[in-house]
Amino acid sequence: MPNDATTAQRIKQLLVEKLHLDGLAPENIDDQMPLFGEGLGLDSVDALELVVALEKEFQLRIQSHEVGREAFGSVATLAAYVDGRLQTADDAHVRS
Amino acid sequence: MCGAERADHASLDIVVTGLGAVTAYGWGVESLWSGLRGGTGAIARFERFDATRHRTRLAAEVPTSPEEGRFARRASFADRFAVASAREALAMAGLPGAPAGPSTGIFFGSSTGGMLESERFYERFLRDPRRRARPGLLASQQLNGPGDAVAREIAAEGPSETVSSACASGAMAIGAALRALRRREVDVALAGGSDALCQLTYAGFNALRSVDDRPSRPFRADRAGLSLGEGAGVLVLETRAHAARRGARVLATLAGEAATCDAYHMTTPQPEGQGAAAAMRLALEDAGVEPAEVDFVNAHGTGTPLNDAAEAAALHAVFGDRALTIPVTSTKASIGHLLGSAGAVEALVTVLCLLRREVHPMPSAGEPDAGLALDLVLGRPRRLQRAVCALSTNLAFGGANAALVFRRAEAA
Repeated sequence: MPNDATTAQRIKQLLVEKLHLDGLAPENIDDQMPLFGEGLGLDSVDALELVVALEKEFQLRIQSHEVGREAFGSVATLAAYVDGRLQTADDAHVRS
Repeated sequence: MCGAERADHASLDIVVTGLGAVTAYGWGVESLWSGLRGGTGAIARFERFDATRHRTRLAAEVPTSPEEGRFARRASFADRFAVASAREALAMAGLPGAPAGPSTGIFFGSSTGGMLESERFYERFLRDPRRRARPGLLASQQLNGPGDAVAREIAAEGPSETVSSACASGAMAIGAALRALRRREVDVALAGGSDALCQLTYAGFNALRSVDDRPSRPFRADRAGLSLGEGAGVLVLETRAHAARRGARVLATLAGEAATCDAYHMTTPQPEGQGAAAAMRLALEDAGVEPAEVDFVNAHGTGTPLNDAAEAAALHAVFGDRALTIPVTSTKASIGHLLGSAGAVEALVTVLCLLRREVHPMPSAGEPDAGLALDLVLGRPRRLQRAVCALSTNLAFGGANAALVFRRAEAA
């Protein structure tokens, strides 16, 4: 994936590739579309898979209590969460 | 089952109205039937995972699937075989898909469910220094995965039962469906089984030295073991009244079932086939059929020296002199041993043979074992002058035996 892709674009690519949403193009995922239930229709197993994929892609560790409805509501909220995590100094020592 | 209960069942015919299958011949019943008729087996070099460490590289592997939709993205192979077979069976029965509702039950057999995907998860988990692997690989790990996937697919809200009694599972699941229909717990049952090859199965049968390094040759003098296979089979079963009300085409009657246990050894069948013979007799009795009325037998016929000898002994015990002349085939000779779904696919094939008035052949390689004294159908299909009643048998590890009796639709 190109380095200059926005976090939101990278997340959309991850959603399609890692969750095997065959037939769905990343550009067809709306930033505000709910990820779970209505919208993209993901479920709790997808949430686990998404955490693993995000941890690998962005080199961060996500604690289970962070996987809340707020951060994982949509691509937009997830991108804001990831950007926030990447900017905090706290993360420096957990990156590997 | 007591005599009074049997008599009560006589008035409640259970019929087969739909069939669906996924086997090494392909996705669908017609690919299975044309493959079996052709007499060229589908047992070939196994490619899905590296089997080079094992005694044999052979198996009957299901080919790449057609488009299955989004459901398949996280489903195990076993779940996908099951759902594809259920969809086909429902379509043949002329039943709508979802919602099937509370009067439809699911009765499935499986030996390993989503084991292959679990193995893949742990392989990745153990190899990744940070212990990361796709959790979704574990989503369909349980043995009840295939049956439950079918229930979700069609929103069947009746009982969803999974039987796991080794290689008798599929037949026993069909037996469980028959009993539930007779008790009027459900109007419609999807009964069958699904299993996918996994490392556990492949390594296990190799370690037991139960596999032949050539395609298996059931009941032949030079037989040296079974060939593994995978796939699913589903039968739509319903009461005759229910089928009649909706104008469904009846393919056959599921007339009787029975199961017994040798209670003898973990893997070896009782040598005289006493338990297997008992299951056959009880199933015929349940069906109200005399041994003399049976037109052909779809045998368990694994191709192991011990199974085939015990099964032949059981057939002679049940059929007497007729065992010398009753046509016997083994579906496993062509599509391998499907373990938890073997009994289901073989039941379905038995229905096809009755419908089309011919017994499918086994590939012709190997001389019949004269000591077993059976009339084997080899190389070419055997046309039947009388195709009214058929027996399908399964003899499993653990000594589990199951037998199913089918009758031609118009003969019921």
